[in-house]
Amino acid sequence: MIALRNAAHVVGSYAITFAAIAVYTWNLLRRARKAARQVPVEDRPWT
Amino acid sequence: MNHFGPTSTRFTRALGVATILGLGWLAVFGLLLSPDDVVQGSYARLLYIHVPSAWLAYLAFGVTGLASGAYLWPRTRSMQWDRIAGASAEVGVLFMALALVTGSLWGKVTWGTYWTWDSRLTTTAFLFVTYIGYLAVRDLGGSHEQRARRSAVLALLAVLEVPLVHFSVSWWRPLHQAETIERGGLKGLMLFSFFVGMIAFTLLYVWLVMHRQRLMMLNDMIDDSGLDRALAERRNEVAP
Amino acid sequence: MDLSPREVVATAPRGRKKPWFAYAVLALVLIAGGVVVAKFLTSALDYYCNVDEVGVKDGCDEGRNIRIQGTVEQGSVETNDATTNFIITFNGASMPVELGSEPTGLFQECIPVVVTGKVLRADDGTRYFAGEEVIVKHDNQYDAENEERLDEANAEAAACSRKG
Repeated sequence: MIALRNAAHVVGSYAITFAAIAVYTWNLLRRARKAARQVPVEDRPWT
Repeated sequence: MNHFGPTSTRFTRALGVATILGLGWLAVFGLLLSPDDVVQGSYARLLYIHVPSAWLAYLAFGVTGLASGAYLWPRTRSMQWDRIAGASAEVGVLFMALALVTGSLWGKVTWGTYWTWDSRLTTTAFLFVTYIGYLAVRDLGGSHEQRARRSAVLALLAVLEVPLVHFSVSWWRPLHQAETIERGGLKGLMLFSFFVGMIAFTLLYVWLVMHRQRLMMLNDMIDDSGLDRALAERRNEVAP
Repeated sequence: MDLSPREVVATAPRGRKKPWFAYAVLALVLIAGGVVVAKFLTSALDYYCNVDEVGVKDGCDEGRNIRIQGTVEQGSVETNDATTNFIITFNGASMPVELGSEPTGLFQECIPVVVTGKVLRADDGTRYFAGEEVIVKHDNQYDAENEERLDEANAEAAACSRKG
């Protein structure tokens, strides 16, 4: 179990990492939704 | 209607679920189950996010190099390789940024400083800056083929920096510690937690690259359709 | 048919960054890259001199700003109001350090450190290191903290000064 004396620094570092990943992922999916409005479903090779 | 986003498929949805589970496991093992280190105490737990971030950045830049080579090779030339190269580089920059930030936070509490110009940190900073430059070069304009060609050449040069960064701790005298995993520096649950981090970040990398290259394909299609529309308008203008 | 020259319309992809932004980023990248390369060539290659290299190895001279590496000798750390004094050893050689700042990070006895500063001579002619900053240099070995390991670690710590 993590020692309380260092918890803030360690947990904070994990939080920054996961937050950065979440923000990038959210932005990626948002841009994809926006772009997909202009491309018909049948033109997308992966569908 | 695809509720998981237009760039998702059954495979990426399954991969996404596995990635979330992997990241959850990483949090549990990294923060709760793995033991403290004798010297560093809890700060050693930063290793489980810092080292996988750095390794995934190396992997991402390696994939960018390979995909760029495949694009330039006449027999395998395809815009798909260019998009994979670009997507992988962008995700690699994200992981490299995470490695730099977590390394800096780790450095403050162990070394006593956020940053110092030793060989590992300096070469890593150079690698990071190089791939930001690579992404800028991709956005310089021109046709998709021009973009693909110039960025592929740059990627093949940039990937040579990856071994320079990795072996900088052996070739010169750094403040940064020498290779930990290769030299058996981790054991037991600490080693297991590290591999949990590696697996989680690798799944995340694959998921992100798949979605990012599909977004690039959508953008390329939009650009092409804009060109087609302009040509059609021009033809209509000159038609009798 | 209208054959007059057409107005050229920029065809930047819709919803994407404009090329000027990419050029601006590229300019910043070139500047940052130049700074990093300069740092690499001036200070990153030979990051430090070992204690036994002072006055022996080229670039590790007295009176010059250098980084020096050694292990903090056990029992040598003394803290005054403004300075921290300790001795670092490496490969049989030792050097007293007078540090003008508070050590941070994992600084403790028996841990390898890199100190930034100058080698100077005291009034009696002995050499000492006037340090400005100390950075802890931990190794690449990790061991789980438990009772058994704590005993071993204490034993190692007790022996560290004798190893120097």
